[in-house]
Amino acid sequence: MAQQDDIQIYWKRRVLYSVLGLMFLLFFGRLYQLQLIYSEEYGRKSEENSIRIIPREPVRGYVYDRNHVLVVDNQPAFTTTIMPFEFDKRNIPYLSSLLTLDPQFIRDRLKKGEEYSRFAPVKIKRDISFRELSALEENREHLMGVDYQVESKRWYGAGGRAAHILGYTKEISEAQIRTLGGEYRQGDVVGSAGLEGEYETALRGQKGAEFSTVNVRGQVVGSFDSGKLDVGAIDGKDLILTLDIGLQAFAESLMTDRRGAVVAIDPADGGILAMVSAPDYDLAFFSGVTPPLVWRSLNGDAARPLFNRATLTRYPPGSTFKMVLAAAALETGTVSPSWRITCGGSFRLGNKVFKDLHVHGSVDMTTAIQVSCNVYFYQLMLKTGLDNWSHYGREFGFGMLTGMDIAEENPGLLPTTAYMNRRYGPSGWTRGYLPSLGIGQGELGVTPLQMACYAMVLANSGEYHQPHAVRALLTKEAHTPDTLAFQSRRLSFAPQTWDIIREGMRRAVQLPGGTGGLARVKGIEVAGKTGTAQNPHGLDHAWFVGFAPYDHPRIAIAILIENAGFGGSYAAPIAGLCIERYLNGRLTRYDNTHRQPVITARDTPAPATVAGR
Amino acid sequence: MLTYIYRHFDLQVGVTSLLLAGVGVISIYSATFDAHAMGIFNRQLLWLLGGTILLVIMALLPLRLLQSLSWAAYFFSIFLLVSVLVLGKTVSGSTSWFNLGAFRIQPSEFAKITTVLALASYLSRIDISLRTPRHLLTASGIVVIPVALILLQPDFGTTVIYAGMFFAVLFWGGASRFTLLAVVAPIASAVAALFGTTFFLIAVAVIGVLIYITKEHRLVAAAVFSVMVLFGISVQVIYDGLKPYQQKRIETFLNPNADPLGAGYNSLQSKVAIGSGGFLGKGYLRGSQTQLNFIPEQWTDFIFCVPGEEFGFLGAGAVLILFAVLLVRGVTLASIVKSRYASFVAVGLTAIIATHVFLNIGMALGLLPVIGVPLPFLSYGGSALISSTMMIGILMNLYTNRKEY
Repeated sequence: MAQQDDIQIYWKRRVLYSVLGLMFLLFFGRLYQLQLIYSEEYGRKSEENSIRIIPREPVRGYVYDRNHVLVVDNQPAFTTTIMPFEFDKRNIPYLSSLLTLDPQFIRDRLKKGEEYSRFAPVKIKRDISFRELSALEENREHLMGVDYQVESKRWYGAGGRAAHILGYTKEISEAQIRTLGGEYRQGDVVGSAGLEGEYETALRGQKGAEFSTVNVRGQVVGSFDSGKLDVGAIDGKDLILTLDIGLQAFAESLMTDRRGAVVAIDPADGGILAMVSAPDYDLAFFSGVTPPLVWRSLNGDAARPLFNRATLTRYPPGSTFKMVLAAAALETGTVSPSWRITCGGSFRLGNKVFKDLHVHGSVDMTTAIQVSCNVYFYQLMLKTGLDNWSHYGREFGFGMLTGMDIAEENPGLLPTTAYMNRRYGPSGWTRGYLPSLGIGQGELGVTPLQMACYAMVLANSGEYHQPHAVRALLTKEAHTPDTLAFQSRRLSFAPQTWDIIREGMRRAVQLPGGTGGLARVKGIEVAGKTGTAQNPHGLDHAWFVGFAPYDHPRIAIAILIENAGFGGSYAAPIAGLCIERYLNGRLTRYDNTHRQPVITARDTPAPATVAGR
Repeated sequence: MLTYIYRHFDLQVGVTSLLLAGVGVISIYSATFDAHAMGIFNRQLLWLLGGTILLVIMALLPLRLLQSLSWAAYFFSIFLLVSVLVLGKTVSGSTSWFNLGAFRIQPSEFAKITTVLALASYLSRIDISLRTPRHLLTASGIVVIPVALILLQPDFGTTVIYAGMFFAVLFWGGASRFTLLAVVAPIASAVAALFGTTFFLIAVAVIGVLIYITKEHRLVAAAVFSVMVLFGISVQVIYDGLKPYQQKRIETFLNPNADPLGAGYNSLQSKVAIGSGGFLGKGYLRGSQTQLNFIPEQWTDFIFCVPGEEFGFLGAGAVLILFAVLLVRGVTLASIVKSRYASFVAVGLTAIIATHVFLNIGMALGLLPVIGVPLPFLSYGGSALISSTMMIGILMNLYTNRKEY
């Protein structure tokens, strides 16, 4: 440029250098900020971008019975999923028609799923039918982002239903996700009742994760870091039950068309051998997606099939409770075993008359249990007193939870003086309430499970074991079961006390004149006690508690038949059949009245054959 | 021999551009490696070959001839700009391409150069002074004609490049501070208006005070001030008239985090790519953002992400240094050449490259809105690469003939 401009040129050049310097300073500063200060944050974002975590579902634990018969199995089921970022929401109406779902349901699901991640599949419908699966396959090109996963659903094939004890799995609810937290995601199944619920943590196992590299369209292009970070799923632990599924199935068949419960316990450890609540339901309805209609009908059924009568129902025990009073009287020294009364068929207290069914004449304690003499126990109750009686009742486990390993249980009701004062006021009740309690009627409530534990204690002459349905957890890798520990305690009564009570129970079944004769089993000495709970609303509830064989009991049992009538007629025979089935593995039974064989089945008899009994 | 080469060829310009072109080839290879777009890489190699030939031609052309051809070239490119509007091919809302078989040509890329040549030719005349309003107006006209044609395509990015170039040339040519202010004022007020009324008012106030300080004739000052205010106000109107994709790009710039998978996606992904590169980078062909195509068409406007992610701070820093060396050399060149024409050409071309670098890297680093402007030598694109090599050729020519008046 012209010479005279030279000075100006150098000044301008400096300005331009400075402008360039500022620009590159700005760029370097920004580069420093992005790549050196925030590089970790951006690194994380870039990984989130390109790494897809694909959950690996563990296999839910299997359930075996005490003889290692597979009770609960898994079956493949197809679950529809949507990948939110690939899916075109305009396809919702079409998809909903293919899957017969409410479009709003899909929208809600998708929205919740997107809140978690746009790159994680959202489960839309579990256990789709083959028809739905084919429809999805046919329309795959139009339904970008729609896919399906193979999951498993429960399958029950062992014969017994054991619905209330096993419980079911259900798709997790919003509330459950919040309370359980952790690994649970929308669309997961979670044990929701019975053992499935109680042992959820063990059964569920642990989800694994596979890290895959995906491109911007979400297509998997390979495994991330050659799969070094992948975590395999840890399959759930198997449950080994104390249940005998054969006995369970048999007891269920006996309870067909009846309402009530059967609870059989192994007296050696408190393991539940069978637990029936009738009416029950088929768990198969719950294995996939429960149709709303089934839910409504089960929930709305007046017979309440979902309700576990074995642990939740609360009835007066009737005469089956007389052994509690006998034990209390003997242990407190209120009477001696030889104390006798003369039964004239009724008992008068003040101006109130308490009735008996028969005139038993002169009876001692053993006989009183054998023939179930009410007059004896009316008087014994007055002598023993309410609080002694209820103290010993508690010893047997009444009025409190047994702690059995299924969640839902009713503690029952065992009144004390304090309770009666609270309920009626100190002057609102009289000794006149006592005689009824003495024979197990009135303000007294027990569950069939408590009754079975009671039978177990009597069978064991004092040994109480916490009842439970699961014996051990089996890890698939370990092959050695992890046996669970349950509490045991001893009711340290005098041996004589046990002998007298147990002898009474033996006679009640084995000897003529006993009320439990229908529980007799050929070749097995059975001990038991019948009971009839008065029911102001209809027919009485029939009870039976017992155990066998008498000398070395291997089964303790409690039966409740609602609205049936007399315990000796309706509950005792079922107990006898169950005992025979369990101890002999087969039935060779003759009808007590007609001396004709009614059942000679080797295994589970057809329900219709027995239902009439 | 070496001294001969050193005296005759501007190795600083030549070598840095060669290195930048090398980085570009490597980056495009990486960007297209897994995107099933290897054709792009191969085509870029062909363009580079063609560009090198043109570079040599431009470098060896007698300076006088270049100067005498300036106006012809300028009018020819105006003709091309007009015909592209009539015959051109529309790509993403913009009609700026000629289809020549497998190759497409973008006349606006070459018009930048010819405009600089014509402007330099005009301003280098002894009788021309930028302090004379009539001459200033003519100079503006030389720039405004191609700008108007390019705005009709519409191509906003190239318009900004022209503004940067013109401002630098005016400054270099000794235009008064008021003139420079008059060029900056409308742009500044328009940009401020995009950010909101408060920014707009602040900008108007500051520039208003600056205009007052220059003590220019009241009527002229008032006119410039009114034009500035008018520009700012009409930005909203213009904004409403913009194509939706352009509107979105501006919105995106204002808040890129608002919708990470929507309009702000590019800007955010670009920052993620560069940021995640860290100091050393993820390694060549190992950048997950690049290789998994998280940045759409990363081989064009967002090519800077590739060295940023795969070679980290070191790689991106090296690219910045190469550009800095090249641009500083361009300014130096403008001050050492003897001819006024050569000096204006050097400033104009350097300003063009500098504005490209500023807009493109600023955008990739998330400092500027997403404006589609290629990064010289690195971005894929035949016309852009050829115009870059031609500019380098001319700069080398100026050095070779630096002693000519």
